[in-house]
Amino acid sequence: MSDDGTLEAFRLADSFLPVGTYTVSYGLEQFVQDGRVEDAGDLEALLATYLRRQLGPADLVVVRAAHAAARAGDADAIIEADRRLTAATMAAEFRESAEQSGDRLLSLQRELRDDELLDAYAAGVETGAAPGNFPAVLGVAAGLAGVEERTACLLCCHGFVTGLLGAAQRLLSLGHTEAQRVLDDLRPVMVEAVEDSAGRSLDALSPFAPLVDVLAAEHERAERRLFVS
Amino acid sequence: MATDSPDAPASRDRAVDSATAEGAPGVPHPAFAAYADEPVPQAPVGAPGKDGVLELRFSAAADGTALVSDYATVPFHVSGTLGHDPHPDAETVFVQSPTGGVAQGDRHDVTVAVGPEAVAHVSTGSSTKVQSMDRNYARAETTLSVGAGGHLDYVPEPTILHADARYCRETSLHLAPGATAVLSEVVVPGRLARGERFDFERYFSRVTAESADGRLLEDTAHLAPADGDPTAPGVLGEFAVFGTTFVVAPDRDTAAMSDALHGVVAPGDARAGATELPNGAGVAVRALGDRAETVRATFHDAWNHARQALLDAPAPSGRKY
Repeated sequence: MSDDGTLEAFRLADSFLPVGTYTVSYGLEQFVQDGRVEDAGDLEALLATYLRRQLGPADLVVVRAAHAAARAGDADAIIEADRRLTAATMAAEFRESAEQSGDRLLSLQRELRDDELLDAYAAGVETGAAPGNFPAVLGVAAGLAGVEERTACLLCCHGFVTGLLGAAQRLLSLGHTEAQRVLDDLRPVMVEAVEDSAGRSLDALSPFAPLVDVLAAEHERAERRLFVS
Repeated sequence: MATDSPDAPASRDRAVDSATAEGAPGVPHPAFAAYADEPVPQAPVGAPGKDGVLELRFSAAADGTALVSDYATVPFHVSGTLGHDPHPDAETVFVQSPTGGVAQGDRHDVTVAVGPEAVAHVSTGSSTKVQSMDRNYARAETTLSVGAGGHLDYVPEPTILHADARYCRETSLHLAPGATAVLSEVVVPGRLARGERFDFERYFSRVTAESADGRLLEDTAHLAPADGDPTAPGVLGEFAVFGTTFVVAPDRDTAAMSDALHGVVAPGDARAGATELPNGAGVAVRALGDRAETVRATFHDAWNHARQALLDAPAPSGRKY
């Protein structure tokens, strides 16, 4: 990978990237509210479920498909991957969150780079032909910048976990060192999720975490909430 | 015993499969490829009794919906229609099985077609037991279609996964404009009363729905307890029985229906919630419980509410005996 690609990977993985990560908790807020996540151990176990049951069998498959489509200059294939993720995501709040972050990243990338493929994909998002999910946009951004596919998947896991650790620090009393320890401990699970996504076609998307879906449905109707999901 | 034909799916089967499992023709999901090579020691795959076919076709007639054709081979049995539906135009079929359940090597093919403006309710008379397996696997393919303005309730009784069961099912729904459907699936991970729990080998179930505008949703449950703990936080947690009811109604106000259904299911004994399906396709209700009865009761409440919203008639009573 070129130095430029590596620096782009650092930029895309950084919590400094303005994509609204601080507004989403992907159900974590409700798990805390319900007393299911009370400490770093509970948090780590739940994040492992997200990696194994949501990222590996769904998000990362779409990152890979969008990355490959971007490398091939195929806007239609990007849109197809993007749409498949929406069709496979049952929790309405998760679709909203993924579209919101995806929209911000897509706008940002278009401010920074002139690229016909990015324009064609953005036109699809504007007309509603593509939902603009974050994993699809991330795959495209990484593919165009020469970030390798596997690195793009790893940075997607890293970004997801750091985002939720940030949310957890606002929801629980979780120290910085504890948060770093959870991030460190989850490394093998991130690698496992990346391995799981390898070689899967879009026909094999299979996110499955029904209790997360139930709590996300409760979160939709929660009276007081800090996060949009 | 004849074991010379370990796996001989029909050519149509193969064409469908090749779309989803690269490099392993005849297998619905790569995880089942290794099983497919194992000969079945009793009646082989494809033998009479193993390839069950069920076809039900409903049409709207002057005096309501009629079952205009039915074809059933073992292990399916249809003994006519029932007239107890509170909706005046609805027709009901309870599919029966003369066997002890689904066995290794079974390949079932179910088609339910509901014509324009027809209203049909298809269920089973009792739970589907997926038996223990040590060779091959069992598969069920279900194709459901609803014509313009029609409605289908496809709400079979729970599926019980015995120890070492390997079960793969794919359910696809096609809706014409203005058509609606309620699909329900309840899974019991073992004979819980005898302490059997998550002892099955693999369960895979994919539900897809499409309208004239294209794909609406795809939802896949895939559990293999040896490869990943089903009771992990966020997956099933402390619960055993799980299921989903899909209210597919792409031309309706699904946001309002989602909130209303959540209000119906949240207070029940099961841990349940409703959310709007992707592409404005309708509502998904997920429910988890300790026993089949609680999840079943929650889904019956959801079905009853959905029926009133969609058809202006309640659901039939859940009692089947």
